[in-house]
Amino acid sequence: MSAADDISTILSSGIRLTVPLAFAACGEYLAERAGTMNISLEAMMLGAAFGSVATASATGSATTGLVAGVLIGLLIGFVHGNLAHRLEVNTFVVGLVLNALVLGLTSYLITISSFDSHQVSQVSVPWLRDIPLIGHPLFVERWPVYLLLLVIPLTWWLVERSRWGLELRAVGEQPQAADVTGIRVNLRRRQALLWCGALAGLGGAYLAVGEVGSFNQNMTAGRGYIVIAAVIFGAWRLGRTLLGCVLFGLADAMRLALPALGLTMNSQLLVVAPYLLALLAMLVFTTRNREPKALGQPFVRGST
Amino acid sequence: MTIDERARELTPPTTPALRLRGISKRYGPVVASDGVDLDVHHGEIHGLLGENGAGKSTLMKILLGLVKRDSGTILRGEEPADITSPQEAVALGIGMVHQHFSLIDALTVWENVILGDTGKIDRTAACRQVEEVSRRYGLPIDPLARVDRLSAGERQRVELIKCLRRDPSVLILDEPTSVLTQAESAELFTVLRQVVRTEDRAVILISHKLAEITAATDRVTVLRKGRVVFHSETSATTPQELARQMVGRDVSLRAEGAALGLLPVDGGRPADTGTAPDTALDTAPDIETGTAPDTETGTASPAPGVVPALRLRDLTVTVDGVTALSDLSLDIAPGEILGLYGVEGNGQSVLGDLLSGLVLPTSGTVEVGGRPVELDRPGALHRAGLGIIPEDRHSSGVVLDMSIAENLVMKSLGDVSGRGFISRRKMYGIARRLAAEFNIVAPSMDTPVRSLSGGNQQRVVLARELSAGPSVLVAAQPTHGLDVGAIEDMYQRLQDAASGGVAVLLISTELEEVMALASRIAVICSGRITGVLPTGEATAERLGMLVGGVAA
Amino acid sequence: MNEREDLGSGDVLRRLLSNLNPGPSGWRTGAATILALLVALTLSSLLIAVTGGSPVASVEALFQGSMSDLTAWSSTLLYAAPLLLVAVGACVSARSGLFNIGQEGQVLIGALAAAWVGLRLAITGPLLIVVMLLAAGLAAGGWAGLSSLMYRLRGVNVVVSTLLMTFVAQQIVAYAVNTPWLLQESRIGNAIVSPQSNPLPSSALLGSIGEYPGLQINAGLIIALIAAVLIAVAISRTTWGFKITMLGRNPLAAKHAGVRVTALGGAALAVSGAFAGLAGAVLLASPVGVNRLQPGLSMNIGWDGLLVALVARNRPLAAMPVALLFGVLRSGGGFLAATGVPSFLVDVVKALLVLAFVAPPVVVALARRRRSGDRTAGARREAAPVAEEAIA
Repeated sequence: MSAADDISTILSSGIRLTVPLAFAACGEYLAERAGTMNISLEAMMLGAAFGSVATASATGSATTGLVAGVLIGLLIGFVHGNLAHRLEVNTFVVGLVLNALVLGLTSYLITISSFDSHQVSQVSVPWLRDIPLIGHPLFVERWPVYLLLLVIPLTWWLVERSRWGLELRAVGEQPQAADVTGIRVNLRRRQALLWCGALAGLGGAYLAVGEVGSFNQNMTAGRGYIVIAAVIFGAWRLGRTLLGCVLFGLADAMRLALPALGLTMNSQLLVVAPYLLALLAMLVFTTRNREPKALGQPFVRGST
Repeated sequence: MTIDERARELTPPTTPALRLRGISKRYGPVVASDGVDLDVHHGEIHGLLGENGAGKSTLMKILLGLVKRDSGTILRGEEPADITSPQEAVALGIGMVHQHFSLIDALTVWENVILGDTGKIDRTAACRQVEEVSRRYGLPIDPLARVDRLSAGERQRVELIKCLRRDPSVLILDEPTSVLTQAESAELFTVLRQVVRTEDRAVILISHKLAEITAATDRVTVLRKGRVVFHSETSATTPQELARQMVGRDVSLRAEGAALGLLPVDGGRPADTGTAPDTALDTAPDIETGTAPDTETGTASPAPGVVPALRLRDLTVTVDGVTALSDLSLDIAPGEILGLYGVEGNGQSVLGDLLSGLVLPTSGTVEVGGRPVELDRPGALHRAGLGIIPEDRHSSGVVLDMSIAENLVMKSLGDVSGRGFISRRKMYGIARRLAAEFNIVAPSMDTPVRSLSGGNQQRVVLARELSAGPSVLVAAQPTHGLDVGAIEDMYQRLQDAASGGVAVLLISTELEEVMALASRIAVICSGRITGVLPTGEATAERLGMLVGGVAA
Repeated sequence: MNEREDLGSGDVLRRLLSNLNPGPSGWRTGAATILALLVALTLSSLLIAVTGGSPVASVEALFQGSMSDLTAWSSTLLYAAPLLLVAVGACVSARSGLFNIGQEGQVLIGALAAAWVGLRLAITGPLLIVVMLLAAGLAAGGWAGLSSLMYRLRGVNVVVSTLLMTFVAQQIVAYAVNTPWLLQESRIGNAIVSPQSNPLPSSALLGSIGEYPGLQINAGLIIALIAAVLIAVAISRTTWGFKITMLGRNPLAAKHAGVRVTALGGAALAVSGAFAGLAGAVLLASPVGVNRLQPGLSMNIGWDGLLVALVARNRPLAAMPVALLFGVLRSGGGFLAATGVPSFLVDVVKALLVLAFVAPPVVVALARRRRSGDRTAGARREAAPVAEEAIA
């Protein structure tokens, strides 16, 4: 194999590993702008991955599986939103419990069931796929990958340009003030979690019926946490968050490619890179005050 | 404003813009609003006066749909209105100018202004509208500026623009002048006049300041304990009458008058003429003509030869690159009450935080009894003999979810413990003694401080601070949010402390309070002392100019 | 908060009972909790039934694996010990207002330090195990202290940093057992080396204290029980505990009252990490552990211990029975597979149980507040005994 082939292979796998992160990151980014530090992202992705495979197996259609994954993400977002932003249970506690619940449930169910393998179809863009080095990685992909071209600008537009997004940002910054202005703070936060759930679900489902075609126990293996790290690394800006996803995806691809390349490199360092980079980013960026001020804080009318 | 103008105003009223009938609201056993009737007419400024806890804000929250009423009806014109959300209030043409917590710092002016609307965002149109409104009312503002860069006065303008842009027929202003200088207040009232005169809107002005109400309103309603106890045309009543209605008994004492926002009866200043309280409206022109005050500036010594109990020297504090205090120096002698007067947000809270040990000065020193305090050592100020009643007792004065006993001993754990273990017996002993001494009313010493009334919470703080036998007592806005009885009690305690030889630094935004209690008044503006003068020489006009930053 | 631990006159039981029944609306919360528990158990049974298992057989298996005889009891207690240690630590940090959720990683760091001492230091006799435990506590305490440092220096959210540090810790352990000069097992001949350390010498293992036929009272359990009691007393009776409580409930007021906020908060986080580290060492040296360092050694003890503390509402004494319950589920879970029900079921049951304990008090208080028609800060505080751990 030539060096160009190697690079192309790593790029290709890097992109595939980035895509689920990027979907979920768009969701988490929006939820955090509205003030929810949503650690049940892991549960959303894992639940969706399982649901998509189960549904695809039952219906014979990977696309239906993808839709089911989105629905499961929505369901978990709905549950998290209602526990944290209606019943006012601490959002981290909700996240911990949901992660434990979904991990236990999917592990339980996959142990006693077996599913047929289904995968969504591949799209190959003529002409462009022939570009050397990046042509094949970028333009021969499973079709949901190209949904990102829709999801990313849409997320940006929602947050930065729509009235809904303006209200989300207000809610994430100063919920008391937003409330007085007539914005339903907890409703907006629940809605943000639905968006987050849908996209995290899409990411998890893509991982299962897009890339792998099957489900295995703890399939997401902490990808939800990596996405949270990416949002922190991106200092709550969409572009940099996505850049973080690409970096983390490529690091993962490198790790997987190391043995084939005959390189000896510290694979632990590559695994740990996202977390270290996120910690580093926080150590460097905190003084710049990019973090939504009310991130992780519950809103109750009457308390300041 | 002249009597003639008022008379012209009081033409027979047409259908009121807003009518409340029998509005009631209970919180458990507490009646916040008890069958309130209120008529507000077009073209008038209607004052709503009452002590803290009289039910003013509950009533307004009901009008805005933030709180659900238990019973009663609201009529907009002839139509009954059921307001259950702020959006509905807006749709009915009711707009509120909030004092706190209503602008988002991280957003721009235009974004804040359209927040709460519905429909698509049109930035160009929004900016144009902001400019239009700001021109119409003379409220200059840059629509693209981020709100966290604005001054208190500019933020007030944004609030007004935000409210007026929606073309409300009823405007509600809640304690609008507390963060404003007199000049800014004057600007505000000019706009309000325009709003009622030329545009025939109705304005409800909520205040606990008598002076403001008498000067600025056409009609006044007094609330006490949730009920309407008095209603009159403003010109037909006197501040004394209003004060009596507010409290429910005759008001004659100095301290009481101050508690109600009346200037103390002192020297040759008659306070019973109704025009006595100098107001924002009246003093504004003076600033332009510029009567030169001759004040001592800088460090005024209380009395030569005495070692000041508290000496602040060249204190400078920079927070996030913004200078909150600059070269602040003050001396306070034992037994003296020094009033530090100024408009909210001019560095007082930073000074309070500094004297609470919460922030460190960038430069400068604090000396207690002639000895410098090592401010970076936790609890050093307390050990040096400085007691403090912090401005926001909930945030740093008490721990709401700990008991009265625990709150009373938390600064002197050494007295109730041995070898690291706390003696409950000793703790309760001290707590009971202090509770008796300071009239803290509570079912038991185990009661969490959260469930106490504001007055009792404040007494817990006071008892803890005075029980340590301090030589200096700093009282930062000690009467905020208290009812008149508790305010009088606080005044008495502060005066007792001073006559016992304690140096008292009274940080206050209430002119009447410092005039009534302090022997000298220092004025703070933008983090610096603009002047110090003996209370005998202080007049509202002179203080007003110093507050506005016009130093001698 | 009046329901603080008070060990004065043997009223531990009453206290424990009152934990299920706190505050003025106690009976409602109690009833709601019982209802929620029933719902949780019903859901679990339904899950088993729907997936073709037998709920009754599952309960029997759980019982058999955890309580049927002394051997089963031993295994239950051996699991309960590290869970309790983690939970006690979690109580300390949560009460100080610094919510540590990185116990899983701190357990691993503790185990790593203990394994290194056990395998690399030439200490003989009972001293070895003591040094191992100390090293585990110190290392994990320091590890958690890093999060505190990041918070103090740069305001990095403690929840987030402890969470992220967990994954870092996992990779550090993975690195250690993949690196020959660190702790990877020695190569014997041409045998393939696995990513794990050599087995610990027998002097580095925690045996039974005293001889009972069939029952093992592990030293780890004794340590955990003592730790729980000590921390309970320290929190309710000492000036240290007073300051921790003050710090957790109002950091500004604590600072104002002269508490060394930075040092005390850092100490609380370090203590909580140290307990998790101890749990790691106990697990490493326990008969139910693998007795050698492996990346998967922690077996989610850190996460579960955190859940124990949540259910116990951050009261060390209440954590004792909860840790026992979680120990039962763990040791019983191994017996489930025999009935055709995957042992992952216990993870589902655990999560549902936590939910059943956490949600009802909040719901009850919220319902009461809705009835009174308004939302006030006061009601919220009563409403959220779990959420009150101010997230720094």
